[in-house]
Amino acid sequence: MKEMLVGDGSKAGSSGSSGLSPAAPTDNGEAARRRKRLVNLTRPWVLLAPSLIVLAGLLLWPLIQVGKLSLQDYKVKFGGGEATFTGFDHYKDLLKSDLLWKTVLPNTVFFAIACVGLTVALGTAVALLLNRLGPTWKLICSVSILAAWAMPAVTGTYVWIWLFSPEDGMVSQMADSMGLIDAETTNWFTERLPFYGIATLNVVHHGFPFVAITVLAGLLTIPKELYEAGELDGANAWQRFWKITVPTIKPVFLVVTILSTIWDFKVFTQVFLMPGGSGSNPDVYNLGVYSYIEAFAKNDYGAGAAAAVLLTLLLLVITIVYIRTLFRQGEEDL
Amino acid sequence: MTTRRTPLASRIGLPLAVAALLVFTLFPVYWMVSTAFDPKALTRGSDLLPSGVSFEHFDFVFDRGNFGQYLLNSAIVGIATILAAAVLSLFAAIAVARFKFKFRTSVLIMVLIVQMVPLEALVIPLFIQMRDYEMLNSLLGLSIVYIALSLPFAIWTLRGFVAAVPKEVEEAAYIDGASWFRMFWSVLLPLVGPGLVATSIFAFITAWNEFVFAYTFMKGSDKYTAAVGIFQFFGENTTSWGPVMASSTLVTVPVMIFFVLVHRRLGSGLAAGAVKG
Repeated sequence: MKEMLVGDGSKAGSSGSSGLSPAAPTDNGEAARRRKRLVNLTRPWVLLAPSLIVLAGLLLWPLIQVGKLSLQDYKVKFGGGEATFTGFDHYKDLLKSDLLWKTVLPNTVFFAIACVGLTVALGTAVALLLNRLGPTWKLICSVSILAAWAMPAVTGTYVWIWLFSPEDGMVSQMADSMGLIDAETTNWFTERLPFYGIATLNVVHHGFPFVAITVLAGLLTIPKELYEAGELDGANAWQRFWKITVPTIKPVFLVVTILSTIWDFKVFTQVFLMPGGSGSNPDVYNLGVYSYIEAFAKNDYGAGAAAAVLLTLLLLVITIVYIRTLFRQGEEDL
Repeated sequence: MTTRRTPLASRIGLPLAVAALLVFTLFPVYWMVSTAFDPKALTRGSDLLPSGVSFEHFDFVFDRGNFGQYLLNSAIVGIATILAAAVLSLFAAIAVARFKFKFRTSVLIMVLIVQMVPLEALVIPLFIQMRDYEMLNSLLGLSIVYIALSLPFAIWTLRGFVAAVPKEVEEAAYIDGASWFRMFWSVLLPLVGPGLVATSIFAFITAWNEFVFAYTFMKGSDKYTAAVGIFQFFGENTTSWGPVMASSTLVTVPVMIFFVLVHRRLGSGLAAGAVKG
């Protein structure tokens, strides 16, 4: 295939060999081969260059900048910024602050754990359900799952806020009519726990379809004979799931778990848009929101950058685990 | 011997589970759309059916909220994003799928790592960068950021589509005397076309849905994208949920239609690890 990529090279060789002089063809062939090698060497980089330039300029360079920024005090001035080097002060302040250890990190971590656990559990249950349905209902359920998946984070968040909105929201009204709460005085969004409960519902609703569809694809690869053998040995459905399904498609579970972890650690929009989530209620900060507020609401770009670097490092660790998992599986033929 | 022991449980359990699934997935969508059409949206409480059907919230959103402009802005940014992202990612995908070269694996891993970076870490330096270049509040500046955001997923997905084209087809073109570019134009491009369309639609959805950058960069209200424009219907103390849900419906419905249409083609790419919808 490599040889075929340079059509004109082989043509030059063949026209050379038809000549009378014995020395010319070897020279020609040599030159053609060298050119072919050069084209083979440069063409992939020529094709890659535009993308790499864009990625380097807009993703890699900003990452370096955010690292640099986290070591500075940056003041926005008219027509440019003014930076003073401060060393690791922002990191020291950040790591010493009560807000980080008592609010921001627990919010981020426990929220991510709850979301990942529920997303993977629900997604797996739905995949098992889909696997048992006939074609018509499977199609109906698949389309409804896709609808949940396709719901943009922004509008999905607004719908959940509306459902739980104090006084007028549907859930508040229903809970009120059942005598559980007083809709006039209950605000779900002011306390940490109900706030993140609603955010979890939102994120799981948006995230489980990916798990369901990926796990379903995995289920389809499991040979039926394994289940028949299990049944003959007297294993019930619960045992068959844990002893046959889980071990056989363990790689699939690993991948969806790690990817969900990466996504749920950096949830921003779904928290930021909720009442109090954009800065007025420090109790509900997560790491992403905290970084954004420090930078853009308090104009402390250095401190915001330090928090952003912390989040990036956390995600980088998870990403490395993810890539190693992919490689060990050997599924991705890189 | 292998008599099914659970006919009753599955006869009741299965429909129950399906019903629960349909309610959980579709109820928020239903509530959004039905509130958008409900003339008495604010006071509907827990009434499952809207009190009537009217377009007044949509009229309000377009006449008073300038939402047509925001939808147009979103469309412009989205189209600019897919045009650039499609061309760039196709070239890059051909490079990594069709050529063996040094650092190929490193390039692929870098692409994978780069898309895991949290947007909140990028928004601070990019904001400062764009401000220095006076590209804030410009649809072009926003499009450039979105091109970068959608590239990793597009490269990763298109790589699969390019690799799926049999090499023999290409070789046949060379034997017929085609140059590389002729082969690309007449053979590879038509065969990768469907994948390219699906990837482009996904890039469009990424740009259409994005919030953080649009919210941070676009400070002039005539430059809002639709996802940011909804925000203005939130009042100080009360929120007019009719217009909020009407504009949310306008943002959501096209995405859902596109997503259901293209997801099958993207299946493997979505699983390979990328952007959430």
